[in-house]
Amino acid sequence: MLVLAGFGLNHLFLGAAVERFEAGLEESIRGLQAETTVDEGQVYAPPMTDVRAYRPYSGFYWQIAGIDQGGGVSPLVKSRSLWDSQLTPPADAVRRAQARPGVSVYFETRDPLGKPLHAAAQLGSIPGRTAPVLFLAAENRESIDQALQRFAYIIAAALVILGVGLILAVWLQVRIGLQPLFRLRREVAQVRKGKAERLVGEYPAELSPLAGELNALVAYNQDVVERQRTHVGNLAHALKTPISVMLTEARQQPGDLADVVSRQAEAMRGHVEHHLRRARAAARAQTIGERTDVSEVLDELAVTMERIFQEKGVTIDWRAPDDLCFRGERQDLQELVGNVLENAGIWCRRMVRVNATPHESDWLLLTVEDDGPGLPADRRAEVLKRGARLDESAPGSGLGLAIVDELARAYGGDLILDDSAMGGLKAVVKLPRAES
Amino acid sequence: MRILLVEDDPDLSRQLKLALGDAGYAVDHAADGEEGHFLGETEPYDAVILDLGLPKIDGVSVLEKWRRENVATPVLILTARDNWSQKVAGFDAGADDYLTKPFHTEELLARLRALVRRSAGHASPQLSCGGMRLDPRAARASVNGEPLRLTSLEYRLLHYMMLHQGRVISRTELVEHLYDQDFDRDSNTIEVFIGRVRKKIGPDRIETVRGLGYRIMALEGETDA
Repeated sequence: MLVLAGFGLNHLFLGAAVERFEAGLEESIRGLQAETTVDEGQVYAPPMTDVRAYRPYSGFYWQIAGIDQGGGVSPLVKSRSLWDSQLTPPADAVRRAQARPGVSVYFETRDPLGKPLHAAAQLGSIPGRTAPVLFLAAENRESIDQALQRFAYIIAAALVILGVGLILAVWLQVRIGLQPLFRLRREVAQVRKGKAERLVGEYPAELSPLAGELNALVAYNQDVVERQRTHVGNLAHALKTPISVMLTEARQQPGDLADVVSRQAEAMRGHVEHHLRRARAAARAQTIGERTDVSEVLDELAVTMERIFQEKGVTIDWRAPDDLCFRGERQDLQELVGNVLENAGIWCRRMVRVNATPHESDWLLLTVEDDGPGLPADRRAEVLKRGARLDESAPGSGLGLAIVDELARAYGGDLILDDSAMGGLKAVVKLPRAES
Repeated sequence: MRILLVEDDPDLSRQLKLALGDAGYAVDHAADGEEGHFLGETEPYDAVILDLGLPKIDGVSVLEKWRRENVATPVLILTARDNWSQKVAGFDAGADDYLTKPFHTEELLARLRALVRRSAGHASPQLSCGGMRLDPRAARASVNGEPLRLTSLEYRLLHYMMLHQGRVISRTELVEHLYDQDFDRDSNTIEVFIGRVRKKIGPDRIETVRGLGYRIMALEGETDA
């Protein structure tokens, strides 16, 4: 736009400058025409007021010329400034002048020094001479070119300044105008990262409904997850008692039917377990804005686990910084820690050590070690396979570490198994950390 | 041996009654929380098998009521609810063991035997210090009647300090009683545990004696409960 405007302005200026210039030439021609006389076939031009007409090659020239049959021009009188050269209009300018007597036609030519001239030619008659003559006036056009160039520079500079100013103004307006949106985005990011549970900032009237809707969405999301979990839990609960009854009944009354019932009930039990876990893992990790204190969960699960394994006499020694928080739901962390601790409790001799530490900028590492027999490296992958049971005789579901792996992955983390210096297995779970 | 079975599923109840009877237990059965709570409160049972999803009053509430009323009967929770959060809630309410459905009858019987044996172990005197009480037999402690949730290391620390209340106990002494020799931890281990126990029993019950160690004591104006 600005560039177009620049060209437009330049064109207008050029038009005006040329018009003024031509008005000057026109004036000179009219002066010549008015005062020129003929005496005995000799043409006399009037004295010019412009002294440049007398200084050789001054840049201002005039000439009165006759026209021959072929359109050639022969000077009758000319200004002193032309010295011994003459103005030679191009043939088509002569023709145009002849076509419209009394009207100036303009053409470009060069003076004896080779400077560019803008010239006017007009066909007119002189009293006392029958043949019409051509009045010519020419002036160095460098002055226009220079003015035009200066004008172009000024216009370009002004337009560039204007453009920069406009861009700056638009940028500022967008910056300031969109400030609440940036704030909204930051708050939403905080909710997603688990730093905040909902949006709390003050927003302009146009945005506050959006903030309200976002909060409602967060609440709805949490609600849906909670409901889903309850449904799945109810279904599992409803199915588990009948399965238990069928299994016990079948064991007590041996026979073909009992075998079938046993097998099928075991299969049902497997399905229920598997899909319950899957649903839990899938329902999680999508929730936002949740943060869970790690040391609280470690404390309650250490106590619970020691009770579960009290017959064996297991000691769980856990350490975690007070301000360490997991970015996710409490139930998920309980599931993770519970399963990894249960596995350690099953395999340990007496002692389980748990260490939770911050890791990199937004992760935490949960390390669980035991003093049991450990697990050979080539069997570790097997353990993580869904539903794998390494030792059918060991208590517990045997799904433990596979579930831990699945849940950790749902949160973008992972589970790594290694040898512990205590002799047993070392399980390292990487989980997202909420900034404290 | 007398057992209370609180379970609302009639088939499962019948099976369990049969199996427990075969194992030599006398079994009373309650089909809802209200009846179960009443029986457990009034009759002297050796152990209780408690379902969590019960009509009228749910199992955790029944258990909490009993513990508030100082019914110390060992309780085994038998439930399909196998979330860790639910297990934690069960133990926090005062459960002694937890078994999830579906289960094998043999496992239930083994757990029950262990439960009864533990609770019948040789009685040792309760320890008290101000509003704090510690029951070495059940390995449980409470402050002003509120049960404490302690890990075994925290319990061991509190137990040792209460056995030697009034005396300043050095860090080395505490470490030695906390860990087996081969599991010595770094030097700030004791601070960590003192800090945790303080958080659970109240900050002023354990005094730091600079350069010497720690001392446990009743709060001012508090008499032994």
